[in-house]
Amino acid sequence: MPHSTQLDNERTTTSTPEPEAGVLVVRRHHLLVRCSHWLNVPILLGLMLSGVSIYWASPVYQHKPNPQTGSFDPLADVGIWICAHVPGLHQYSSPPDWIYNHISLGPGMLAVALRLHWLCAYLFMLNGLVFVIGSAIGGGWRSLLPRRTDLRDSLKMFWYYIGLPVARLTRRVWLHPRFNTKYNALQRVAYFSVPVAGLLSILTGWVIHKPMQLYWLTAIFGGYDKARIWHFWLMWVFVLFLVPHVILVLADGWDTLRSMIVGWSTRAERSEDFSQ
Amino acid sequence: MNLEDEHSAPEPDNTSSTESVPSRKPASFFQERPPQVTEVAPQLLRRWTRRDLLLFGAGAIAAVAGGGYLLPQTTLKRLGIIYENKNWPRKEWLLNRSLRIDDDVAEALYSRNRLVPTYTKSQITPLRNNYNGVTPDASYIPEWRLTLDGLASGLSVSLDIRTLLASFQLHEQITRLVCVEGWSAIAWWAGLRFDDLLRAHPPMSQAKWARLESSVNLGPWGNPDPYFVSLDLATARHPQTLLATHLNGGPLTVEHGAPLRLVAPVKLGLKNIKAITRITYTKDEPADYWAKRGYSRYDGI
Repeated sequence: MPHSTQLDNERTTTSTPEPEAGVLVVRRHHLLVRCSHWLNVPILLGLMLSGVSIYWASPVYQHKPNPQTGSFDPLADVGIWICAHVPGLHQYSSPPDWIYNHISLGPGMLAVALRLHWLCAYLFMLNGLVFVIGSAIGGGWRSLLPRRTDLRDSLKMFWYYIGLPVARLTRRVWLHPRFNTKYNALQRVAYFSVPVAGLLSILTGWVIHKPMQLYWLTAIFGGYDKARIWHFWLMWVFVLFLVPHVILVLADGWDTLRSMIVGWSTRAERSEDFSQ
Repeated sequence: MNLEDEHSAPEPDNTSSTESVPSRKPASFFQERPPQVTEVAPQLLRRWTRRDLLLFGAGAIAAVAGGGYLLPQTTLKRLGIIYENKNWPRKEWLLNRSLRIDDDVAEALYSRNRLVPTYTKSQITPLRNNYNGVTPDASYIPEWRLTLDGLASGLSVSLDIRTLLASFQLHEQITRLVCVEGWSAIAWWAGLRFDDLLRAHPPMSQAKWARLESSVNLGPWGNPDPYFVSLDLATARHPQTLLATHLNGGPLTVEHGAPLRLVAPVKLGLKNIKAITRITYTKDEPADYWAKRGYSRYDGI
């Protein structure tokens, strides 16, 4: 656990020594934020699984039916290609369904998928409320607000992450850009974008669900058909966020993961130069 | 550090050995606050970590089990989690409950005075033949009659298309038809208002629902498969709910439900029944073709 030696020395002079030296911790995440963070995992998984099944009932992106396969859906084409080229899958019963059989509940499951999607969608909205309350009470929302310098700084962070594996392999020194806020600029952009994407997913979901009663909201997103496209790509925003998110947390280590479970981080020394 | 602390909330102020690093006052309401640095005994931190790991771990296991339980049986079979169909009434209850809540939300959103957007003729899109199965043979059309049941008079009324066209004013509208599958089409309809039919042939006083039936509908193998939908009378009375007789300027063709079909733009396409042969007004909610197959019942959009 990282200690600040300077602080430890200071401590021994000011307070009575204890059998085991104390650890400096900072509170990172409010309990409600932590709960909503982890609840997102099953809820988003349920939304994506059922959502892709719903998409398959009437794919947004279509081409002219292929005379050989009868497929009109580029995603189904990927499955056909996989079945044709991956050994052991040549005998697959329905190649156009391969993708949907492996990334959704399965094709032809519209009624079941819709029920599951509504259940998860209502839970997702409730969970969003938990997050909003948690970050309001804990004050964590302030750390997510974008800053003017974020674009330049996040490019710096991006370059750092890209170069890190190369630097490790070539045993070169690769310095982490300095920052004195809770999150670095790239994290801030990502963690700010995800609640925004969540909100937009909810809004476009309502547009697709109630395009007539919420016609004004439908108009904001450019109509019913455009809202389906928005909703579809917003799912990919979550996927694109999740992949580096999980990799970076695992790479960053136990303290970061623990802070989302316990709420505390022992990386307290960084806060010393916080307001300088 | 005493042991009682483990039962208290992990707030820095509750622990006995805390010291906060003095911080500068933030410049604005939106500025990030400096973190509160607290000193805790390592064993206490370990205890918190253990406790929360166990709690969150138990929650994760419950979420995986609960979420997996909600997945359809065919999906679970494909994943190799179960090998045969199981009878899980509670799961059906929970999923149906969420469907009902969603229907209640839709009903609360509905307003008889809220009109759906209308479009211009240049915005019309092709409307596909969406007969689920086989398009019926047009030979039913000359013999076609609409039967009304559950009327205030207690009688059963039978009308042919000439009578309907002669006795009601036709209204035109270009509206969007939205299918539960996700596709939609903008079509130019003309027909009589359902509301006008309800005024001309009033239903019995307790009636809250209409059951609309098409006896000419065919199943996927060309077998007779009557199609039926439930429609709440509040929606039937909406000014844009038509009993359409015309599409795109001409009389309805057989694939679009000649000679009379429902056009309720505030409902999903599956409620927009084609080739209606009978309308029955009822007090209680009647059965619905797609609700029996796991879809929602109200389908307001």
